[in-house]
Amino acid sequence: MEFQSCFDIIGPIMVGPSSSHTAGVVSIGKFIYELVGDYPQEVNIVFYDSFAETYQGHGTDKALLGGLLGMDTDDTRIKHSLEWAKEVGMEYKFEFAESCEYYDHPNTTMVTVKHDDRLVKVGGASLGGGLSKIFMINEKMVDIRLNAGDDFTVLARSYQPRGKVLMEAIG
Amino acid sequence: MKIQSMKELIEVCEREQKTIGEIMLMMEIEKSGRDKETIISMMEERLIKMKEAVDSGIKDASTAPSGISGGDAVKMVDYVQQGKSLSGNYVSNAMSFSLATSENNARMGVIVATPTAGAAGILPGVLFSLHKNDGTPYKNLVMGLFTASMLGFVIANRSFISGAAGGCQAEVGSATAMAAGTIVELKGGTPQQAVNATAIAMKSLLGLVCDPVAGLVEVPCIKRNVIGTSIAFSAADMSLAGIESRIPCDEVIEAMYRIGKDMPRTLRETALGGLATTETGKQVKERLFCKKS
Repeated sequence: MEFQSCFDIIGPIMVGPSSSHTAGVVSIGKFIYELVGDYPQEVNIVFYDSFAETYQGHGTDKALLGGLLGMDTDDTRIKHSLEWAKEVGMEYKFEFAESCEYYDHPNTTMVTVKHDDRLVKVGGASLGGGLSKIFMINEKMVDIRLNAGDDFTVLARSYQPRGKVLMEAIG
Repeated sequence: MKIQSMKELIEVCEREQKTIGEIMLMMEIEKSGRDKETIISMMEERLIKMKEAVDSGIKDASTAPSGISGGDAVKMVDYVQQGKSLSGNYVSNAMSFSLATSENNARMGVIVATPTAGAAGILPGVLFSLHKNDGTPYKNLVMGLFTASMLGFVIANRSFISGAAGGCQAEVGSATAMAAGTIVELKGGTPQQAVNATAIAMKSLLGLVCDPVAGLVEVPCIKRNVIGTSIAFSAADMSLAGIESRIPCDEVIEAMYRIGKDMPRTLRETALGGLATTETGKQVKERLFCKKS
């Protein structure tokens, strides 16, 4: 029972073109933004399977960067998030792979972000209809359900119990 | 209250003497802890956003950034206004509104996923057509969104609603099935009739693959949304005429799930098969992505 609310089905209110490849991905980015407490300075993104094949057409790259910059799913600036990232000096790199070893779903991404002297690696999957899931934080498997359009501030904070303890310092 | 099948849904509706939409509302109150007024106003907000997407799409003749969609809603509206449409007002208005929404989606405009963005044109298409043609009040359309979400909720939890997971049958198929059941409930049909319409509509789209040209939610997605509205009206009409689905809705959903599982990866939103790999499809992809890199 992944879908629990009428608003999982009717919604989110979002910029197009895809709830799984755009809106759900904004949420994954936004969760990481809340987890770090700021937009990260450096980002490495791996897109798997369907994400890897179709990210350009769906603006999946723009969606993830938009979320990482703190934008919500209905933010019309998402269209220009690559430019926004450059503007604020966020460095990003995209990589592509066929399937993810950590989680079996076609719409999967692994995002490694660097902020100050800390690193955090987050795995996210977009399940469809704007619903997504964080399945991994660093090497720990988790199950955090994200409904596009919700506020993840409190949720993200609960996974960051003592400030930046969750994030590993670079060795 | 926990509803996991259409069979259970009909039983609960009959026992409580409530519509499918009312049951969804009750369930949401129970689960979310929010009060009825808050939940209804959240749904109203979604209906308003849908209306705004239709209103902006219907007069926007611009093309999407890809250059492969846009301008068709305007053509459709002109044609319908000239009285030339063969399908009648309900279907042809729904087609126009559906085109408007889906074209807006392709432009990265604001839309409401119902249940997904790729299938966002179908529900607003039929709902605003009902409003235009028989004056179904907006208040009822909001309840219709609860009906649609209840039907979609059962489908999503028993099967899937995204093209990447189960092909277009899961996406346009689910949205069309939800719309068909919603029309029936808004026209006074019983919960059983609504579920029948849902089954009939979904059966008509079983096996439909997700093969978007260049991976864009445009070709063939936009026109499949449009056709979805006419299937929804046909299925609703059949059900309101007393015609039943020979295969119960839960079994149809289960078939959709199995078919989706059997579908090769090339036909599940990877743009590696079907229309995406036709001569023209490949040319479009090359033109778009060579230009960018």
